[in-house]
Amino acid sequence: MENFVFSSRAKTTNLALMGVGLVCLIISYFVDGGEGHHMRFWTNFLHNSVFFLGIAALSGFALAAFTTAYAGWFVQFKRVWESFSTFLLPGLFLMGVIIVGLFLHSHHLYHWNDEAAVLEDPILTHKSSFLNKWWFAFGTIGFVGLWYFLLGKMRNISLAEDRDDADQDFSYYRRYKKYAAIFLPIFGFTSAAMIWQWVMSIDSHWYSTMFAWYATASLFVAMTALTIMLLIYLKSRGYYTLVNEEHFHDLGKYLFAISIFWTYLWFSQFMLIWYANVGEETIYFRERMQNYPVLFWSNLAINFVLPFFVLMRNDTKRKMGTLFFASAFLFFGHWLDYFNMIKPGARLTLIEMAAHEEHGGEHGGEEHGDTAVMGHDQHADEHDGDETAALAEGEVVSEGDNLEEGPIVDDAYANDNVHFDASAQDEGVPVANEFRGGPPQTRENSREVLATATDRTDPDVFEPNHFVQEQYVSDNELLGHLESAGGHSEALHTLGFKSGYTLPGLLEIGTFLGFLGGFLFFTMSKLAAVRLEPKNDPYLEESIHHHT
Amino acid sequence: MATIRIERDGADAGAVESNREFVAAGQRNILFGLYDDEVKLLDAVKAANADHLDIDDVYTPFPVHGLDPLLGLEESRLHVAGFIFGTIGCLFGFGFMTWVFTRDWPIIFGGKPYWSVPAFIPITFELTVLFSAVGMVTVFYIINGLGPGAEPRRLHDRITDDKFCIAFDVTELSGKEVDRLRDYFDRTGVETVHQKMVAA
Repeated sequence: MENFVFSSRAKTTNLALMGVGLVCLIISYFVDGGEGHHMRFWTNFLHNSVFFLGIAALSGFALAAFTTAYAGWFVQFKRVWESFSTFLLPGLFLMGVIIVGLFLHSHHLYHWNDEAAVLEDPILTHKSSFLNKWWFAFGTIGFVGLWYFLLGKMRNISLAEDRDDADQDFSYYRRYKKYAAIFLPIFGFTSAAMIWQWVMSIDSHWYSTMFAWYATASLFVAMTALTIMLLIYLKSRGYYTLVNEEHFHDLGKYLFAISIFWTYLWFSQFMLIWYANVGEETIYFRERMQNYPVLFWSNLAINFVLPFFVLMRNDTKRKMGTLFFASAFLFFGHWLDYFNMIKPGARLTLIEMAAHEEHGGEHGGEEHGDTAVMGHDQHADEHDGDETAALAEGEVVSEGDNLEEGPIVDDAYANDNVHFDASAQDEGVPVANEFRGGPPQTRENSREVLATATDRTDPDVFEPNHFVQEQYVSDNELLGHLESAGGHSEALHTLGFKSGYTLPGLLEIGTFLGFLGGFLFFTMSKLAAVRLEPKNDPYLEESIHHHT
Repeated sequence: MATIRIERDGADAGAVESNREFVAAGQRNILFGLYDDEVKLLDAVKAANADHLDIDDVYTPFPVHGLDPLLGLEESRLHVAGFIFGTIGCLFGFGFMTWVFTRDWPIIFGGKPYWSVPAFIPITFELTVLFSAVGMVTVFYIINGLGPGAEPRRLHDRITDDKFCIAFDVTELSGKEVDRLRDYFDRTGVETVHQKMVAA
């Protein structure tokens, strides 16, 4: 079959999904009005908009990168990626809603858009030349528009090539290649800037230089997974008969390889931050490991452990069943990854705003100073459970509780936090971050170190460790000093389970399905409008006879 | 190059039931043809399969795509060795560092706990790769009888250069069957045909 027919059944299914999504969006808008600032609705909207817009952009990236690399194996189904990339336009409209909301202050996704908070917060003030609504609007409209223009050009050239059977000197292909080569560096720089604005700046104090790579790798896996699932669907409907297991093998290799690449970036980002132990960076992981452990670790399990063991074998990439299974899990897994990037930060913004509204009038100056020093923590730690409701009570979490419950790493942060927090408060000195400086050992651990050190009886054997012993004696003295200086412990906050933040609730799943339906409806309509096979593409023969 | 031309037209040709009579114990009689192009080679292998000729082996100067399935070779199980060695390397690396930094010689680095897992992961990864790679090379050498001191066994010098070779074991074949093989070689555009005794 030359043309894809968008069957009425498929249309109905997609429209039904969109209906479900719309209902879920509306419900989520009304589920947390008032003090909730409709945050659940806005985070869901942003999460899915960025995710599907990113998939559209990455499919264009795949086309451009493979074309520039003289690859031909994918040419048979390149119309699928071209139709994916057309979703940049609806994606731009979706992000336009976020931009309008930014200007009208109808949402509080980004703490840097709160003028009062920016003025009081030296870090946000410093970042305000990039993190502001004008840059956001300009970048989103300008850059996404530019991607859409370049990828649209490529699609049009490829379609024109199809219609012109007389072309002898590959003139269309040359022009196609030129646009692909122009697109790549532009996309490389601008996509990084936009993912910082869209996603990373939700944790507005936090930054990571690996973030753009990490987020993009995530989208690449999601895009490959969706391509595989759609191709398997199209084949089951009798299209793309010449796309065979060799092509799926290569797509599966991309799925596997980029999953490992994603894990590499996940770990690199984590380890660098863990090793440097700079408070303004560790806060991102501490927040997620402590309050969102299921989300945080299942992200790694689904997106690394599962593809690693399922897709490592040769034959699982060549069998449609296992490949579809892995793709479905990875597609959901990377959606969950974006959930993990967006939701905890937005929840903290919500807590901070609530605290601000509560205490703003009385302790204005003090609170502001703390905001600068502590980021979200100072406000957050006063509230437990349903933080927006329990504002007035302000439950305090004691250090003892945390030591019993939390994992060791958290204890380590807890203690540093406590002491340096205490010193900062007592002396009124602004400390750049609450974690820096101390060894991330609990005092219990430190004593253990001392005990081990003194237990060693043979001085010759143990000589190299003398300095460790001395160091820990002095550290303990330091800790003791700080303790006697009147430290009190409320630095760690624990957030209770909150559906839609701790884990995706039904509304989130519904919204996800709705956006998926919308994405498929739009791209399949585009796919139905053209011939499935680019018959005049110079690499078509190579693609048909492709074997790995 | 010892090329043996088996005389079939003599008075006692009918008596030659098998080439076995001409072949010393512990040796094999190999009839092989050299092709100058891998496309010809692939076509010839397909023709041999169609004629149900039992190819002993095919030698090429570089890996030829699509040859393995034509010869009915099953997929290599070398990667299983890679996985096993990789697992050993992974456990060894992680276990060794754990033992060193918690039992044998605990040292504080950067104020981190003794058993600081994230710091171990890069080294664990490197050792996994190292064990897997070295283990696979060793297994490959052992199962193929290669490695230092191994005597090279090649039918023809140019197989390692620019010729593609299809070899038949004619030790047990009759003169008539060898004739059929020679016809097959001529038919598939062979360049030269040779016969050689090799160690079994």
